[in-house]
Amino acid sequence: MLLNGTITGLIMGGILSLPVLGVAVIYGITGIPNFAIGIIGVFGGFLAWYFLSFSIGLAIVIGVVACFAIGYIIQTVLLTPISEKGGDATLFFIITISLGFVFEGMIRAIFPRPNISLELPHIGTIQLAGVGVEAFKIFALVFALGTLVLIRLLEEHTEVGKSWQATSQNLKLAKLVGIRTNRVFSIASGMGCALACVGAIFWGSLYNLTMLSGWDLGFTGFIVAVVGGIGNIWGGIISAMIMGMVMSFSGYLLGGMWQSVILYCIVILVLIIAPKGILGSERSL
Amino acid sequence: MSDRYEKLGTSVILLIPLVFVLRGGYLQEVAGFVYLFLIQGYVAWFLYFKCGQPFFGYSVTMAIGAYGTIMLTELSGWPLFVSMMISGASAAVVGVFVFLATIRARGFYVSMASFLLAILFPRLIDALRDITGGRSGLYFGGLSDFISYKNVYIIVILLTAAVATFFFWFMETKTGKILTLISENDRLTQAVGIDTKRYKILAYCIAGFISGIGGGMYVNYTGFISSVDIEVFTTVYIFFIPLIGGSRVFYGPVLGALFVILVPELLVAVERYLRIAYGLIFIVVIVFLPEGLAPYIRRLFMRDRLKQA
Repeated sequence: MLLNGTITGLIMGGILSLPVLGVAVIYGITGIPNFAIGIIGVFGGFLAWYFLSFSIGLAIVIGVVACFAIGYIIQTVLLTPISEKGGDATLFFIITISLGFVFEGMIRAIFPRPNISLELPHIGTIQLAGVGVEAFKIFALVFALGTLVLIRLLEEHTEVGKSWQATSQNLKLAKLVGIRTNRVFSIASGMGCALACVGAIFWGSLYNLTMLSGWDLGFTGFIVAVVGGIGNIWGGIISAMIMGMVMSFSGYLLGGMWQSVILYCIVILVLIIAPKGILGSERSL
Repeated sequence: MSDRYEKLGTSVILLIPLVFVLRGGYLQEVAGFVYLFLIQGYVAWFLYFKCGQPFFGYSVTMAIGAYGTIMLTELSGWPLFVSMMISGASAAVVGVFVFLATIRARGFYVSMASFLLAILFPRLIDALRDITGGRSGLYFGGLSDFISYKNVYIIVILLTAAVATFFFWFMETKTGKILTLISENDRLTQAVGIDTKRYKILAYCIAGFISGIGGGMYVNYTGFISSVDIEVFTTVYIFFIPLIGGSRVFYGPVLGALFVILVPELLVAVERYLRIAYGLIFIVVIVFLPEGLAPYIRRLFMRDRLKQA
């Protein structure tokens, strides 16, 4: 049970880390807590499911690109103008929840089924210390960690990444040296939503996607990010792994119903004891 | 219109639905439902908008009142009134606990803690389904066992009007004015020697207690509660009531409750697109009408009166 629980926990953590990365990228760069990314990601997952019969690769690309475009447009048209007018975190909380309602409604209105399973190809089973694990789950975990490393590399070693850092650390100075900060915000928002979409696709292939799983994915992604120190990418990943373990073992020991109860209790405790998360946040809400 | 007339007018307007008793039926049922949420809306108006406390756990305090009333009455056999009072007091304790627990945190982190509690609570109710009924819910006779449904409705209307009038009065007292001062400038209030923590605790106590009593009244009126009724979106809708209606005026929550509860009723024909319409309307109101609907409704009203003159 210990080994099984650990492996399941790591995989859950890996999948969770994608929306967490999404939240961390968006919040880290724009300073906006976006609660709609989970539901936007699931919208992308439904879109991918719709085109699955044509080609798997094409379906995933359509979902991810659509989510990037949605994130980009929302940031450009709605969130950045409000931020420039001095909108606070509570206002963004309300607006992004309202945006979530819109996308939840769109899933209901556009797609014929409210509950889908993305059947991606089975790529065999891998033996880990005597336990057989679906290779696809390992792929999901490796993909999540790979994405993290890629984002870090991008941030440290490219001009684009440095402009992200500059925008995140000192907005006025970044504008002064000619960085198009609004574009940086829009790209960050697009990337966050695209990451959430990949998370939703993995989730949908391992479990089920419903209209409401977007809220679950978004809220869980957000609270895991809070525990890690919202906006802190490494903190987010460590927190995702810990929370994945917590969910896995609480599921094994107490049953599925208690998984999220234990998860939320821990998060509330972290908020009370260390409001800035386990690794702290570079930004302050 | 002076504040005094506005308050008096709002209190009187709140009593108008009493006439629905004459006809009963659908209109009365919906009005009762709107008013149950209006109680919570006024709690949000008081705690968030007037006292400046970033609390998002309204569905939790309401649920504690509702489940507490059922448990204490049905399982412990306590009198209904006593059960409601104790449940209200428990909701107040939870509100104060959230405040004290997050006292080290600032701004949005406090909102987050109470919002997470609002996500957690229905899941806890589901996990404890052997006692709480989970999604299948609990049925409750309550007041309907003693008096007719019409009389329960009258009590709901009177209670809502009383709650609103209490808040109007309270905000005029010295304590209310200090709470307004705290919401406008916490540090300045501390600097003049006022123990702001004590006043904030009092605000949470009052809000939690009234929200809990409102929750108790909810199960007495609807006769049923389940984890679905107290989902996190309930807290979002409650928060939207003063926000959409207009938090600066006394009748703002009335407009907000009418809007938040009645729009889904009116859009029932296009139920498939309800969420899209709901989300878009919220965004439009928040972005283009930052002071809520009230100033625009007032302007419309004044224009009509000018035309008549």
